[in-house]
Amino acid sequence: MANTYKLISSITVGSGGASDMEFTNIPQTYTDLLLKVTGRTNKGDLYNDLSIRFNNSSSDFSTLAFVSTGSGKSTFTTTSPYVGSLNDTGGTGGDNIFSSNDIYIFNYRGSNFKSVSADSAVERNNTGGDEKGLYSTLWSQNAAITTITLVSVGYTLSQYSTAYLYGISNA
Amino acid sequence: MSPILGTLASQFSGKPFGSFESIATVTVGAGGSSSVSFTSIPSTYTHLQIRCLAKDTTAGSTFQNFKMTINGNTMTRRHFLFADGASVAAGSSTTNLAIGNIPAAGFTSIFGAVIIDILDYANTNKNKTIRSLGGTDANGSGELAFYSALYAVNTNAITNLSFSADSNLAQYTQIALYGIKGA
Repeated sequence: MANTYKLISSITVGSGGASDMEFTNIPQTYTDLLLKVTGRTNKGDLYNDLSIRFNNSSSDFSTLAFVSTGSGKSTFTTTSPYVGSLNDTGGTGGDNIFSSNDIYIFNYRGSNFKSVSADSAVERNNTGGDEKGLYSTLWSQNAAITTITLVSVGYTLSQYSTAYLYGISNA
Repeated sequence: MSPILGTLASQFSGKPFGSFESIATVTVGAGGSSSVSFTSIPSTYTHLQIRCLAKDTTAGSTFQNFKMTINGNTMTRRHFLFADGASVAAGSSTTNLAIGNIPAAGFTSIFGAVIIDILDYANTNKNKTIRSLGGTDANGSGELAFYSALYAVNTNAITNLSFSADSNLAQYTQIALYGIKGA
């Protein structure tokens, strides 16, 4: 059986937190990449945007999102490299709760622009403060992706935040 | 109606299948079943994914709740984002803790697809946040739903999952449990 879904590397944020979670020297041997992320930041709020950078660039991104908070629902576009949301440490009912995010990167070593599909869930143990969403993100650069950085701009990722990078092969 | 217990796919252990492995799969037999359960889920993976093709035995052409319990407990709360081709809705509940929508018996031969992700399911530092994406096209009608849910009863590792419907799970409902390695 072909080895079509393989862990490349993982990151767990240690005590004291971290400014980002970064994967470097990504092998150029797979077809697609999948990130599975659980995250939380030190922001004194309910949730915060999860941003991605490819090859240390946050330029040439565009994002289309369909999100829901409680009974509210909205869609938006942005040039920010958003791929989901993370839990924050503010408010009540957020103890020990981390976001759940899948980020799928298609044809990451191809010479075309890079398409990303992501879904994201933030929950809290009280009324309100949740957010979930579906994201379609484009990186309008042709370079193969060799480095991926996950950040919550301006904030620190909390201990026990995790990111797992998988390589997906079509052969 | 008797529940069905999943059998672990132990025959796969130790073989180099990459990071995504089948743990167990259950197909509901003739007469349907009140529930499908997976017990003694090993803590040797990092994430779980459950892929479901399911149907409820409730009469009529409606869409019914597809429910999940964790370690014998209901989830704490859940939110949904929903579309049916004509409208979009969002909301939350602490009582109706469905994690998907599946067609009733009136939709002959049509099953609903639901994929559920549970990350860090064995991490005892975390309550568990669950994501679910599902849909049914019933040839002229249908539903799409994105659910998120919280299991905050405790931070114990998840060792048991059970699935049910408003009535019974219909024959040919198939629920497959996968483990995803993180080391």
